[in-house]
Amino acid sequence: MNIRNQLICAWSAMGFTAICLAGFLFANFIPPISPNLSAEAVAAIYRENALSMRFGILLIMSSAGFICSFAAALAMQMKRIEGDLVPVFTYAQLGAGCVTTLVFVFASVFWTGAAFRPDHDPELTRMLNDIGWITLLMTFAPFIIQNIALGLCILSDTQAEPVFPRWVGYYNLWVAMLFVPGGLLTFFKTGPFAWDGLFVWWVPFAVFFTWYLAMCYILLGAIQRQAQAEPAAA
Amino acid sequence: MSSTSALPDSVESHLPGETGVWMFIIGDILVFSLLFSVFVYDRSQEVALFVEQQQLLNQTLGLLNTVLLLTSSWLVALAVHGARAGQLLRARGCFGLAILCGIGFVVVKYFEWGEKMAADLTIETNNFFMYYYLMTGIHLLHMMIGIGVLVFLWQSVRDTECDAQGVGVLESGACFWHLVDILWIALFALLYLMR
Repeated sequence: MNIRNQLICAWSAMGFTAICLAGFLFANFIPPISPNLSAEAVAAIYRENALSMRFGILLIMSSAGFICSFAAALAMQMKRIEGDLVPVFTYAQLGAGCVTTLVFVFASVFWTGAAFRPDHDPELTRMLNDIGWITLLMTFAPFIIQNIALGLCILSDTQAEPVFPRWVGYYNLWVAMLFVPGGLLTFFKTGPFAWDGLFVWWVPFAVFFTWYLAMCYILLGAIQRQAQAEPAAA
Repeated sequence: MSSTSALPDSVESHLPGETGVWMFIIGDILVFSLLFSVFVYDRSQEVALFVEQQQLLNQTLGLLNTVLLLTSSWLVALAVHGARAGQLLRARGCFGLAILCGIGFVVVKYFEWGEKMAADLTIETNNFFMYYYLMTGIHLLHMMIGIGVLVFLWQSVRDTECDAQGVGVLESGACFWHLVDILWIALFALLYLMR
């Protein structure tokens, strides 16, 4: 057991949140580029802001790896619940968390594809822009498995001194529910279920980043309790 | 909180299930309230269309589903009551019947959606049908999860003796089922009845 290494990985959630949000701001992605725009309008956005967008997308890409290290930190505490023999929720969470990294990596790749040659055919720019947003927001599947595995693991904790507070389990199940509507973006160009709408962008976006902040805080608490409970190993 | 109580049936203020479940329920109601608000706002933008399209819904099937869900909620309440009194066989039977009602709801929904799609009314037809499919679809997802929860409860009544903690688990699951029920009632009113 190494408390310091765990703390480093737990704090990576803050690194992810800060760098990724900065990336979205620089890329002018808040609010998202509307799926309802013409190819010419989308191409104009990429042409006029090319440098700032490239930089912002680079930041988003840079932040993505921290998702893995944070998932690993969560996994270490989950393993304290499940034990060493059958840590199946732990692995499910870790695997799904690492796939989440790829969501941000590939979305950045597609957006960079759009921003890389701002003068190419507007139809191509819009298509790459489309694929970028679809990659980011429709891919709820790994996100919800990460949350459900973590939630069920916390709820299965029967120790007298649970690793995480029990409500955190229900919180994670609730968060999982909120990511599901992302899949509906495939049907809409406008309205609350389009990729710039309330239930695909604003709610999941807010819930996603507050989840990283909240889980970072909760995880630091769990690591601290472990350090107090097992001082010899620290 | 409640699960630590030695007397789960005490008349003092007793929160059924555990506190975390209520956080989840309130959180879910919050999100649905948001969805309902957006629906009511969008409806106010094209009232004539929404009222006209509403006539195309099958109110009989909607009502049938309401009755099925209310019955299942009643059965689940009976089951928890039975478990508290130590009548495990009765509790199991009630959970079983509630699961059947839940499955009945899904079957009715299948035919209702089928009927709409056969009439070329899809999620892309207009805003009313967009909300119709989305709201009933998101609710259906809750139904599926709820049926899973009921199966788990049904199973746990068979396998374990029902102590205070066991009853606490039953109450938590039952609360989720009542949530699914109450969301449907709000949905039914908004989609099928609101004029």
